[in-house]
Amino acid sequence: MGMEWYIVRRVAWAAIVTFIIVSITWGLMAAAPNPEVQAAATQAAMDGDDPTAAAERAEARLQLDRPLHERFMDYVVGVYTLNWGWSNTRNQPVTQAILESLYYTVQYSVPWTILTVLIGPLVGLYSAANQYSWKDHVATGFAFFGFAIPNFFFGIILLLLFGVTLRWIPIVYQTDVPVFSVQNAIQLAVPVFVLVTGSIGAIMRVSRNESVEYTNADFVKTARAKGVSTYRIYFRHVLRPTMVPLSTTIVGYLLALFTGSSLLVEVVFGIPGLGRTLYDAVVAQDTSLVLGSTLFFTFVATIGNLIQDLVYTLLDPRISFEDR
Amino acid sequence: MGTSTPTPSGEQEIPEVGGTYRTVTSSPAETLNPLYNNEAGAGTLIGYALDLGYTFKPGNTLMPQLYDLTTDDGGKTWTGKVRENLEFGAGYGQVTAEDFVYQVQELHQAEWASTADSSAWPAEVTIEQTSEFEFEITLPSANLLYPQTYDPLLYAIPKDLIKPYVENEDDKGLQEDQELLNLEFTGNLGAYTLEEWNRSSGQTYTRNDDYYLQEATDQNALFENAPYFESLENSVVQEQASRLAALETGETDSAAVPPERVEEFDSMDGVNVYLIPQPYNEVCVYNMRENGWNAGPGNLFREKKFRQGLGCAVDKQTLVEGVFRGYANVEYTWQPRWSQWYPSEADMMEFGTGDLYGAEAAQSRIEEAIANTEYDYSYDSNGRLLNPSGEQCTITLYHSAGQNTERSMAEFIAQEFEDNAGIAVEVNAIQGAQFAREYWQQEIPENADELEWSNGAYNAGPRDVATSPNAWDMTVVFGLNTYPLNPLAGEVFFQKDSFYNPYGYYPSWDAKSLFEEANSATSQEELKEIFGEIFVNIAEDQPMGMLAFPSGRSGYSADIDGPAENFFNGWDFGAWHREE
Repeated sequence: MGMEWYIVRRVAWAAIVTFIIVSITWGLMAAAPNPEVQAAATQAAMDGDDPTAAAERAEARLQLDRPLHERFMDYVVGVYTLNWGWSNTRNQPVTQAILESLYYTVQYSVPWTILTVLIGPLVGLYSAANQYSWKDHVATGFAFFGFAIPNFFFGIILLLLFGVTLRWIPIVYQTDVPVFSVQNAIQLAVPVFVLVTGSIGAIMRVSRNESVEYTNADFVKTARAKGVSTYRIYFRHVLRPTMVPLSTTIVGYLLALFTGSSLLVEVVFGIPGLGRTLYDAVVAQDTSLVLGSTLFFTFVATIGNLIQDLVYTLLDPRISFEDR
Repeated sequence: MGTSTPTPSGEQEIPEVGGTYRTVTSSPAETLNPLYNNEAGAGTLIGYALDLGYTFKPGNTLMPQLYDLTTDDGGKTWTGKVRENLEFGAGYGQVTAEDFVYQVQELHQAEWASTADSSAWPAEVTIEQTSEFEFEITLPSANLLYPQTYDPLLYAIPKDLIKPYVENEDDKGLQEDQELLNLEFTGNLGAYTLEEWNRSSGQTYTRNDDYYLQEATDQNALFENAPYFESLENSVVQEQASRLAALETGETDSAAVPPERVEEFDSMDGVNVYLIPQPYNEVCVYNMRENGWNAGPGNLFREKKFRQGLGCAVDKQTLVEGVFRGYANVEYTWQPRWSQWYPSEADMMEFGTGDLYGAEAAQSRIEEAIANTEYDYSYDSNGRLLNPSGEQCTITLYHSAGQNTERSMAEFIAQEFEDNAGIAVEVNAIQGAQFAREYWQQEIPENADELEWSNGAYNAGPRDVATSPNAWDMTVVFGLNTYPLNPLAGEVFFQKDSFYNPYGYYPSWDAKSLFEEANSATSQEELKEIFGEIFVNIAEDQPMGMLAFPSGRSGYSADIDGPAENFFNGWDFGAWHREE
């Protein structure tokens, strides 16, 4: 019993939650009028063709002319037999659509996450070490600037500067360059920069505040009195305790490693990643693809939460799962 | 604009083959399956690898691609002559008439398949194979402009590829077939061969060395070694600023340019902007159904003189220059001026120009219209039109939310109506789909069977009984196709009982007989005369406020030789090349 029983219950609960979320999503999608049918009718109307017939043809093609319960049962059976269906807007299997998009998302979200996790706490620590000096203000200003400026706007400005004026980076994202190549690093540099500046703000502020708390702690004063070097004090005696509360934020970021994608940055830089895929699918009501993506995100989120809960027990043995 | 470009002829230097032609699109293609695509953008992408049966070139002449279409009995029977040098890839062999006939009979005319072309092939149109390379289409009634309807336009699809799906009536399988989706069977049927389709980011193609049109030098001498690029790439770039930046830096050879930036891009050394006429117009539609004209009793929109008065209220030239920045032409009737069917200008009433523009012209006609009704509308001393209760007539005008040009147009119309017709106009933004659902389409009356006609949601019955869920007065949400090549297709817009009459228009001229005459005309001259009469009548009757023909604005790299400022731009895409 104990932890094993807790894990079994959590996993079972995750399956139920996933089913509920996906069923609600399915219901919402089914209730909304399908834009593809509407578009077919409008186009036919503008061209003087029979709009009603065009709408009926589109419904038949999208299999929307079948009864609701049949469509729902098909879907539920598909989910549990890992047959996630066919994306009508991409004309490929949903699983393939998600994997293809993930491939491009990972290429920028991995460096984004690593840089955020590395730079955020360090800038916070630097600010704390130089509290209220001009260096602190510059670092804080930098963090707030990145946090405050909308990513898509910043992206367009940098694209115009580095792409059009200086011509250092390509405007059109190249999917055919190798992942580990200089061209790929060049084309991903600006999107990663935009994302990192946008996301370190919060981490930097938390780590600054936590670090400030420890810079005047008794054990730091003792270390200083013993003649320990400044760098050692900051990295060993300040940063370490700071990282404990920060780790919850960072675990969140690590979770986002494979799923965190930014729609607007993908739109501006033309990166064919998950954010765009899901957004396009929602807009076009590509039910299978929306549900497939929802399933994927729900799965990652519930499993991620479970892992996070388990990690607590490893970090802090005082937390126990007995009797929960 | 709209002038024809002569076909290159005589001795012409054949360009070198090399380089890549790059283009950008704003949204990804949903499908490249030629049987199920109904989007123009994806049609272009398919067209790089797979030609359609025929196209039209400057001068409105048919250019046979895969087949030629001719008639010798005044348009009742059409003979399709298939070229003999067409080869499918993937082992499907030579293209013959059988491939086209089988496709039409077993897919487009079958209930189960729901192909994009199914509406073009009703059961009463028959198609038969007459020899290995010849088929014959028989129409229920003669139509001299049959090719211009685009109904007989087909892709070549191998019979053996579709046969298994036909036998199982498997429409889902046909939609998802990998060979169709990835255009693996195209052989020598297109200028390029599709190499890769990355769903979100675009397509890459390579040159087709054996392109069948290389033998069609009678159409264009430059086809001799076409195409002239080693490869072609299309990238999906959703953000307009990024597409324009790519055009500016030369990363793409073509991109659409918004009106406000045409001048800037045209002045760049590396870019030329071409204004390409297109068939859709900008119209201000009046609601003549029972729930239209909500400014007072009766529905003044039903009065021809009233509509003419409104026609006199809007200065079309100023609209074109102010709102469309000059990248549009004024519209007086249901046909652009460059069309061969446009009547001689002497006959046309040009509302919104010269003597037919201004407060005097508008108000005198509106007063005549009022005199014709039983209601007591009148003008006050300030030139405001008052309803019988003595209040100024106020009506609404809907435009699509988020469309700046359309909003400016609506505001300009509102201002002109107020100044010249004395009618106050409230301008409202609405989503196009919502407008279509709640205002444009009518609710089918319960007694639909007893009505004189009831033709679906877009003309659910006579205007006194069938109305949309919500009342509305005017809209500029939808532009409609004027069919410059085949105006017969526009007939539905002017018949009171057609399946498309959301605005409840009843022509005061004999539209039915004139279109019938046009349908049975036996010569081009006869057609021209009848169309002339039709378009003069439409200009006079003002079924809606016909305002402008906006042009497409395409930016091309300055070193691309091929694009032309006419309706047929792209007909000879295989001959396009980069200047050395």
